[in-house]
Amino acid sequence: MFLTKLALRNLARHRNRTLITSMIIAIAIFAYILMDSLIGGMTDMSYATLIDYEVGHLQVVNSQYWEEQEKLPLKDLLPMKAAAQVALANTIGYKGGSPELEFVARLNNGINELPVIGKGIVPSDFSRVISFDGYFVEGEMFALGEHRAVMGKRLADLLGLEKGDYITLLVKDKNETFNTIEAEIAGLVHTINPNVNNNIVYLPLDLAQQALDVGDEISRIVIRLEDKDLAGRVGPELERGLKKLDGSISVYPWYELEAVSVADAKNAGIKLMLAIILLIAAIAIINNVILAALERMHEIGMMKAMGLEMKEIIYVFVIESTGIGILGGALGMLLGAIGVGLFANIGVDFTSMMSVDMADWGIPVLGRIYGSWNFGTFVQGFLFATIVSLLASIWPALWAARKDPIVALNQL
Amino acid sequence: MATVKKRFMILSCLILISLMASPMASAMTAEEIIQKRDSNEYVKTAIAQSKMVIVSGNREMTKTMTTYVEDNNGLTIFTNPRDRGTKFLKRGDDLWMFFPDAEDLIKISGHMLSQGMMGSDFSYQDVMESDKLTDLYTFELLGEEELDGRPCYILEGVAVEGKQVSYYRRKSWVDKERFVGLKEELYARSGRLLKVMSTKKVELLEERWYPVEAVMEDKLRKNTRTEFYVEAIEFNPEIPAATFTLENLR
Repeated sequence: MFLTKLALRNLARHRNRTLITSMIIAIAIFAYILMDSLIGGMTDMSYATLIDYEVGHLQVVNSQYWEEQEKLPLKDLLPMKAAAQVALANTIGYKGGSPELEFVARLNNGINELPVIGKGIVPSDFSRVISFDGYFVEGEMFALGEHRAVMGKRLADLLGLEKGDYITLLVKDKNETFNTIEAEIAGLVHTINPNVNNNIVYLPLDLAQQALDVGDEISRIVIRLEDKDLAGRVGPELERGLKKLDGSISVYPWYELEAVSVADAKNAGIKLMLAIILLIAAIAIINNVILAALERMHEIGMMKAMGLEMKEIIYVFVIESTGIGILGGALGMLLGAIGVGLFANIGVDFTSMMSVDMADWGIPVLGRIYGSWNFGTFVQGFLFATIVSLLASIWPALWAARKDPIVALNQL
Repeated sequence: MATVKKRFMILSCLILISLMASPMASAMTAEEIIQKRDSNEYVKTAIAQSKMVIVSGNREMTKTMTTYVEDNNGLTIFTNPRDRGTKFLKRGDDLWMFFPDAEDLIKISGHMLSQGMMGSDFSYQDVMESDKLTDLYTFELLGEEELDGRPCYILEGVAVEGKQVSYYRRKSWVDKERFVGLKEELYARSGRLLKVMSTKKVELLEERWYPVEAVMEDKLRKNTRTEFYVEAIEFNPEIPAATFTLENLR
């Protein structure tokens, strides 16, 4: 008990050293927590941009189609009646289902052409799953039966198109025969999803089905639930029900999409950066603890001369160092809480801050990025600071405690 | 004898159309005319030097190439400075491309096939067609008319239901005496005219009539066309067996 008190008193006695070392640890932990919040925020946002504008929470597709979906084939499609079955399935948390027919097309303005993804949709169903409300820069959504289209403003700008202009989409139908779809631009949107802004042309489902010669078939049904966390639970239930009607139908939750895996892979890369930050923090902590031990060589000699045993000296040092770690960790958590609090509420607009489009850096979000709270990171940061400080103190304490008291006393 | 319509990338095959000298006194059916034209296009083996001029607005790009053709296989090697060493290899229904700068071999498939070849108005698919046209289309003789001073049959082919064809409808002008295709219009299923190919010059080479100048126009884009010139051609040469291998492409 005496040694513990001595160690704690030492911390107070060397107030400046304790504070400076703690601050260094605190800054490292603060950086770690903030970085994690940024990554968490970006991940949440990239999931949200995918879910809210492209993929919904669940996708009902033919399992063969799922394997080939990258190529947007026009085979292994679903019958339109599957959409009615989905709506009748009484799925928990079901908000809406949007039947979609996706296809590859070349968008032509009479001079140039660009490869795009065409999407045939039913506007009333689509709006229950993916809302473009507030994102129309010009015009409006089309209705079924019309020869009209909606596309991203950026895509339109690229081809010099405006609302009211006529476009030609060159497509290949299910027999690989060229066909054209002529449509008037009904509206232009600008969302926070770069893929919607740059690559997709929306058309009435009936027009797309007719042009692609696929009868009443669709590529997928995109389902929106009340909460994304319901996807893992209700997906298998819905699939069981649908499989009774058609064995080839499968239901995939949003997190099984390749786009999500790509986002996860990118995050893994960022987490490696995070690990490097922690490593640098660990080196800083070790350096500080070692220096703190070395500069107190004289004191160690004194303690030995007064009869303290080696293990007792190590104990004092380890307690002191751990104390610094705890203090630094706690300070880091406090700073982190303030930083993340600001970041989560105010956010950061990297696009305008750095005058770059984050999409160009592979981050599929536009606009303000908000931090996310992750209490696990706070605990991790605190434990990391404490444990590294504890472990880092053992070797210099051992080294110092082994010194002959006379040598130690003379080392000043 | 099987009349296989050969279309390989550089169109050497496409425009290698031989003249059948026999006068067609009696009326021919649409299918007979197409089969006659198709059989004229059948080339067992050939080596051709050709030039492609891609015109887009005020810009003009010239590409030169050497093409080797044997049965269902073909190899084209670009020889103009900018594309020197770029190669296309067609083996049956497969098409590969080799870029010397990247030292990369790419298989061209799926939706890539509908893109313009080397920026031209010919799509990869245009030069890959190798099935008999009479198997894919139901042809009808629409009539006769004079085109650029030559008497022609006008034929229309509509895709047979369920067959995989690029163009739903094609309208062809076939020289009545030389059985050379002088013009062809290619349509989408919607009825929209997509491309027009016109033969500008036909020469008698090695006792056969060949179109040596042709123009392809992409009708979905304004002010664009691709001119194609056959500068030299040799029939039935000896081509080493290894020419049409992937190893040779690298």
